[in-house]
Amino acid sequence: MTSNDMHPMHRRTVLGGAAAVAAGFALAGCGDGDDSDAPRERKKGQRITLTFWSWVPGIDKPVDLWNRKHPDVQVKVEKVSAVNGQQYAKMHAAIKAGSPPDLGQIEFPVVPSFLLDNGLLDLAPLGAARHKAKFFGWQWQQSVFGKGIYAIPQASGPMGLFLRQDLFDKWDVDTPGTWDEYETAAKTLRKKGAWIETFAPTNGNRLAGLAWQAGAKWYTTSGDTWIVHIDDEPTRKVADYWESLVKQKLVKTIPDRQNAWYKDLQTGTIPAWIGASWGDALLIGNAPGTKGKWRAAPLPQWQPGGQAYANWGGSTTAVFAKAKYPKDALDFAIWLNTDPESIALLIDGGYGFPSAKKGYTTGDLDVDKDFFGGQAYSKIFADAGTHVDTSWQWGPGVDTLYQRLGDAFTEALADGGSFRAVLKKVQGQTISDLKGKGLKVESGG
Amino acid sequence: MSRETLSRPEPVTPRRRTPQRRRPTSRRPSRTEARNARAAAGFVLPFLALFALCFIAPIVYAVHQSLHKTERTGPLGLGGQEHEAFAGLANYAHALSDDRFLTGFGRVLLFGAVQIPLMIALATTLALLLESAAARGVTFFRSAFFLPYGVPGVIASILWGFLYVPGISPLVKIADAIGWDLDFLSRGTVLWSIANIVTWQFTGYNMLVLIAQLKAVPEELYEAARIDGASAWQVARHIKLPLIRPALVLTTVFSIIGTLQLFAEPMVLRPLASSIDSGFTPNLHAYSEAFVGNNQHVAAAEAVLLALVACVLSFGFLRLVGGGKERR
Repeated sequence: MTSNDMHPMHRRTVLGGAAAVAAGFALAGCGDGDDSDAPRERKKGQRITLTFWSWVPGIDKPVDLWNRKHPDVQVKVEKVSAVNGQQYAKMHAAIKAGSPPDLGQIEFPVVPSFLLDNGLLDLAPLGAARHKAKFFGWQWQQSVFGKGIYAIPQASGPMGLFLRQDLFDKWDVDTPGTWDEYETAAKTLRKKGAWIETFAPTNGNRLAGLAWQAGAKWYTTSGDTWIVHIDDEPTRKVADYWESLVKQKLVKTIPDRQNAWYKDLQTGTIPAWIGASWGDALLIGNAPGTKGKWRAAPLPQWQPGGQAYANWGGSTTAVFAKAKYPKDALDFAIWLNTDPESIALLIDGGYGFPSAKKGYTTGDLDVDKDFFGGQAYSKIFADAGTHVDTSWQWGPGVDTLYQRLGDAFTEALADGGSFRAVLKKVQGQTISDLKGKGLKVESGG
Repeated sequence: MSRETLSRPEPVTPRRRTPQRRRPTSRRPSRTEARNARAAAGFVLPFLALFALCFIAPIVYAVHQSLHKTERTGPLGLGGQEHEAFAGLANYAHALSDDRFLTGFGRVLLFGAVQIPLMIALATTLALLLESAAARGVTFFRSAFFLPYGVPGVIASILWGFLYVPGISPLVKIADAIGWDLDFLSRGTVLWSIANIVTWQFTGYNMLVLIAQLKAVPEELYEAARIDGASAWQVARHIKLPLIRPALVLTTVFSIIGTLQLFAEPMVLRPLASSIDSGFTPNLHAYSEAFVGNNQHVAAAEAVLLALVACVLSFGFLRLVGGGKERR
């Protein structure tokens, strides 16, 4: 409990202090147990060290830069594994054990799960709202719940379509602009022995993005109550569409972003991918032999000429509730995600699409144009980013939701069950999961 | 491990070479006993302390967790206070009403019913072969069979994963070439693909335990059998097998416990296969509850249930085969 920077005290003083704190508790009627960890103001000239858990490649570089510029507020990066959500398991465990770091990297969808733990600090009382204008509004809004601001957005992943232009040309297939054209393209590709996609049953994240594009809203709130709409009309439309592709055997059903899938990308067995802005690094890294043959295109639309886009991935810098120097932590989080030098270093590392509006140009994001045959591919994603339906909100327990969806789709693929039945089942499960967590929940159909 | 060692825990009293030294236990027993007890306590204490810290305490904590739940207040359940409240058996009821958790149990029981007898039979065969008089290259084969046990379960699963995944696996490629549509990771086959990994890993270990027991069989028995004209087969059937019965029981019990705790293999193969869900085995289910759903309380209840089932099955098996007549 005693922190290193406390002044040396005599044992008796410490005990006396502890007694005073205990008396304080008694007087306050234990109204707020957080008094003992009350956030502190850094005294002028005092040196402090903040810890920061992250997995973003190359995050050390902007942090080093900050440390050089801010000798009094040193930030220490501790790398956490991002495989299968291990980083969140670790953070939840640390919160439970009462020893979380000061700052952490947290993706948009899981921010509410941490609120459920009381894990994140509300930054609104620290005046975070004055930084709002520096970020894209909808990304800022992803971590706003009620009056609280719980994280600073770092990067997003506007969705788009990656495709092997050489193969599409060879087989005389046009870049699909609508989902109807996409299905037609899938049929042609199938005749050539290729598969346009894999419907990975365990990828709840992308499914959420596709539903988002179709106009779904999986979570809304009304007063104190969460309303769950996983089984809503737009999501059903998406589920029907993919079920039809699966039943017609126009798409594979192997897991994505795994060795077998990379192999299919390398060989052209799967010559397209519905991905997101950060997918460039993934293709460059895993299918280097296909350099120059890929292009990016806008996500196919439900309405011809439509402009509906969605987000897949994206993350924030959050301050944990027990942070000892929240003001300094917030300053760092803002600097990391808005300072032009920091953004440049983050882009080099390949962190995604900046949440900040300024400090870079879209061209800076074209990390490897040659891989995409000289195309200024980031513009596609930048345009998509400006048309993302910003009213989408994440709810608590998204990790569990993805798991439920994965389990149910796995089962449906095995026994030929309908995808609509999956949505119905998961809707019910999610409601009882949230009830189990002690929340007020209603079904929004 | 064998009965001989158990029945002779202490070196036998020195022969009469030192008659003048009196056995200390004969007089003043109280002081000596007290000293012995202190010495014994000194030796046992470090073990007990670690045992309590690493074994008893987590169990007590798990049981405690399993009987509590988290209650939340505050708008939308966010940002309010959360506190633990006594939940009675609600977490157990929740776990037992979860069909995926129960299906996982059914799956590992099926797995055990098939894989354990196969593995033990294989281990016994290998042990008998290596211990037979005609065996050649015993040391080499013994090490070779034992080697997979030295490979951690996670690594073994990754290695086998490469042999299972279509598009990469040479096995699938060869099968494809001869027109056989082989899929190691389909819903119907994946359990047996995992059984294959487990068998590969643990047969050698079990074989070694059995060999150790075979080595303890007194040579005179074989001599007597040979003089009586017993064939190698008869020696194996009527002398070796009955005498390694305790080791067979032991390896089977370990295998039952290991099977119920199946975790690493499905965990590693899960991202590769669309057929393994988050409740594939009870342990995986508990893990998902704890670390994906952040429901430590339900996970604790599931862990306790799993331990209870392991206890019942292990002791049930011991009763079944022991029955009091074979074991002394």
